[in-house]
Amino acid sequence: MAMGEPHMKSEDETKVYKPSMASRVYVVWRELKKSKLTIAGFSIVLFMVLIALLSPIIAPYDHRWQGTSGIPPSLEHPFGTDGQGRDMLSLVMHGARVSLYVGLAAVLMEICIGVTTGMIAGYFGGKIDEIFMRFTDLIMTLPTFMLLIVAVSMFEVRNINVIILIMGLFGWPFMARVVRSEFLSLRETTFVEAAVSMGASNWRIIVHHILPNTLSSVIVLATMDIPWYIFYEATLTFLGFGDPSSPSWGVLLQIGYYYLRSYWWIITFPGLALFFTSLGFNLFGDGLRDALDVRARGR
Amino acid sequence: MKVWRGKFKLPQKIMRHIADKRKETVGYPMTLRTYIIRRSILIIPSFFVISLIIFMLIHMAPGDPTRIMTGPRGRLPPDVLALMRKELGLDQPLHIQYLQWLGRLLQGNFGFSYVSYRPVLDMIGERIFNTLELMLLAEIASVVVATILGVIAAVKVHSVPDALASLAALIGYSIPNFWIALMAILFFSVQLGWLPVAGLRSYGAIYNSPIDAWVDHLKHLILPVSILTFGWTAYLFRMVRSSMLDVLGQDYITTARAKGLKERIVIYKHALRNALLPVITYEGYSIGFLLGGAAVIEYIFAWPGLGMFMVDIATWRDFPTLMGLSMTICLMVLVANLCADIAYALADPRIRYD
Repeated sequence: MAMGEPHMKSEDETKVYKPSMASRVYVVWRELKKSKLTIAGFSIVLFMVLIALLSPIIAPYDHRWQGTSGIPPSLEHPFGTDGQGRDMLSLVMHGARVSLYVGLAAVLMEICIGVTTGMIAGYFGGKIDEIFMRFTDLIMTLPTFMLLIVAVSMFEVRNINVIILIMGLFGWPFMARVVRSEFLSLRETTFVEAAVSMGASNWRIIVHHILPNTLSSVIVLATMDIPWYIFYEATLTFLGFGDPSSPSWGVLLQIGYYYLRSYWWIITFPGLALFFTSLGFNLFGDGLRDALDVRARGR
Repeated sequence: MKVWRGKFKLPQKIMRHIADKRKETVGYPMTLRTYIIRRSILIIPSFFVISLIIFMLIHMAPGDPTRIMTGPRGRLPPDVLALMRKELGLDQPLHIQYLQWLGRLLQGNFGFSYVSYRPVLDMIGERIFNTLELMLLAEIASVVVATILGVIAAVKVHSVPDALASLAALIGYSIPNFWIALMAILFFSVQLGWLPVAGLRSYGAIYNSPIDAWVDHLKHLILPVSILTFGWTAYLFRMVRSSMLDVLGQDYITTARAKGLKERIVIYKHALRNALLPVITYEGYSIGFLLGGAAVIEYIFAWPGLGMFMVDIATWRDFPTLMGLSMTICLMVLVANLCADIAYALADPRIRYD
């Protein structure tokens, strides 16, 4: 373009370069690959998810099948059998299904409540922010687990979904805080100013302009919170407030507690499964945080 | 505050001018005492909101308390049940019930248990010190261990000790606390028989001297305290390490080194003091979380504290006790947070009192 000519935009110039979803995922993956620990964490998570999904096909026995009780780990039953003669390996595999479902569903609840609260408080600021954040802080300092016990025990029906609901109701404050602080800083950016000057509505700015930018923090936090919910559910179930009809790892640990002195394997293997799942999510979450460059603090 | 240590001193007039200017811009400068008073007053609204949450939590759920009192097989005529409900004030609308409960609570009357018919406050009083003993010991141990390990790991970052400590911390917070407690019982108590399985002291033991009683109690403390410590150290360690790394990268540390201070003084006097500031806040605000973890450990080791009590009465659905206990625990948490904030204000004079 010569100097004196009026500025005419060509077709190519007006087209904004927007990376596709696949290429963005690839960029993150390239960062993730750098750390071996992250790869290890990712593999564990993937392995557990595969087991959970495929457990009806790959489990050696049905989880309701009953044989001789109290067989120690052997070739036939790698994890032994429990007090009712059920195959522990199949039970642990089936437990992965329930426990991962609990983790994912509760995190989804947390995201729904936390992101909504955080974005309203962070975007509108002022009095709304003050009220919302006071409340959030209050919930955050509450002894969550104690109140979980109280809340769950109040329901006569023992249902896994009720537990998930209650865990979600108490678990959101940290997410809200993170989303709020992201919104506070993003609200001042020039692209939001541009959107305002073009007459975009509040809703449009929140959902289309700011929210996508908070995604990486939300993902990292959610990944790191999944093992928490699995732990909480397992602990609640272990204490006898769980849903005995859905055999999560917590139910297996509770059975193992009864047979602590006679059958050591019942308590060992579900616990190891819990441990590895949590390890996987934590390693993967740490790696994700570094790759996405999020300054989220661990709990 | 002494700023000018050398023989060069700004003239008195200029100093006074600066002081006056500062008063003008900041307005009334808030002292530490005002801050503490204001911060303490904040507890009152928190208390009311929490009491409302707990009341709703317990009373929104379906189910009739009189059924709990009469037991699962209790078959009383409906008019007797109605009389019981009237006696307990359960026939009133919810908001009246809440206000009545709150009024009694403020007078220090926590009510009577539906199950044991004893005053709730007595039952809490019997157990609170057991919980405090367990919590304080584990808290102190974890702070000490985490600080030492965290400083070592941060000073020798990416070394073998750092890697080992980080790995241990990773395992520490990935492992379910109650599972490791059970494994420890299995190993140390059942297999080896070294340590007692549960309780405050050996059942039915007769001691020759108070020292024997103490030793027996200490033996019972070892497992629960070390397991709680293990879990909490893992969190604190990460916190201390990252905070210490943050501080060590700052300019004033370079300055301190450049002026020839010993490395030991740089680390312990200059870096550690600042690095521990976020840890104080974290510590205070994680009390609620720690109490939850302690509940399971108490349950497993049959430690007669508040956590085990909570599990017991939640199984019974004993309304007044549940509400009283929840309020007590929440109050403990609120006070702990208050203490953390005050400690922070004392430790860091830069804090803005707002």
